[in-house]
Amino acid sequence: MPHAISASDLQLLLLEADGAARRLARRMRLPRVELDDVRQDLLVDLIARLPAFDPQRGSLGAFAGVVLRNHATRIAAKIRREREMVGPTPVSLDEVLPGRDGAARGELIAEADGLSAWLGQPVDGFTEVEQRLDVERGLGTLDRRDGALCAALSHATIESLAAQGRGSRSGLYRRLKEIRLALTAHGQRAV
Amino acid sequence: MTSTITRLPTGRLRVREIDLCGWIGQAMPGDILEYHRGFLALDVTPQGTRLAERDRAELCRVARRAWWASEQRLVHLVQRRHGLDDYSYLAIARPKPTSVPATLASLLLEEVA
Repeated sequence: MPHAISASDLQLLLLEADGAARRLARRMRLPRVELDDVRQDLLVDLIARLPAFDPQRGSLGAFAGVVLRNHATRIAAKIRREREMVGPTPVSLDEVLPGRDGAARGELIAEADGLSAWLGQPVDGFTEVEQRLDVERGLGTLDRRDGALCAALSHATIESLAAQGRGSRSGLYRRLKEIRLALTAHGQRAV
Repeated sequence: MTSTITRLPTGRLRVREIDLCGWIGQAMPGDILEYHRGFLALDVTPQGTRLAERDRAELCRVARRAWWASEQRLVHLVQRRHGLDDYSYLAIARPKPTSVPATLASLLLEEVA
């Protein structure tokens, strides 16, 4: 039989959800703006599962703790998957960008700009052309063999090149480090 | 014209290899970086150095990179004597070479071929 929720029970659930959201945000290094969303997700899941609460089997606090912990684990796994997809830094459209008069990322980026704009890469045409010219000039400063390695790395990983017999993995990484330093000295920055 | 001298504190490794490369990449012609102060020939040897082993190895890389940059015509390398076994090793930025012997398109075509 569904358990009737009193005001003090509700207060307990809110507190538990708040604590769980803060723990998750701290563990996953989420920006502050994400905290409320996470808290809401946890709370909604907890309320949806309340009919399964049986006071004979334990306290409401213990039930909430288990449910919140499980759902926090699922949220954390989802965040990890997203980070693997877009990189180590969580990107939120609600994140307020510094030096933009309090405007959030979502207000400053058009949908047509695509995923690269989310990740802070330039999307304006002139910058793109300049970047292309910089890359051309940078490649021109490398020797032919290193240029060929850069071209190969545009569609393959070090591991796959090593597997194709284009050198040992450690040797390729050493060459890549050298290329990076040479390009830096020629004024090319990593993007 | 020598305009800006970047002077760094003594008694420790001043510049790492990536710092030197970054400086060369951004420096205007005539800018000067003191990339080592001491006696480089001694400081890179395990017996004569005043640096920790890790810093000594990094100093070797810095010195090699500075030499490479001078061969690439990116910097002039000079030294200034202050006293016994005490020199400033300076890199003076040169105008960047403008020639582009390879293009991305040609490299990608070669890669496909």
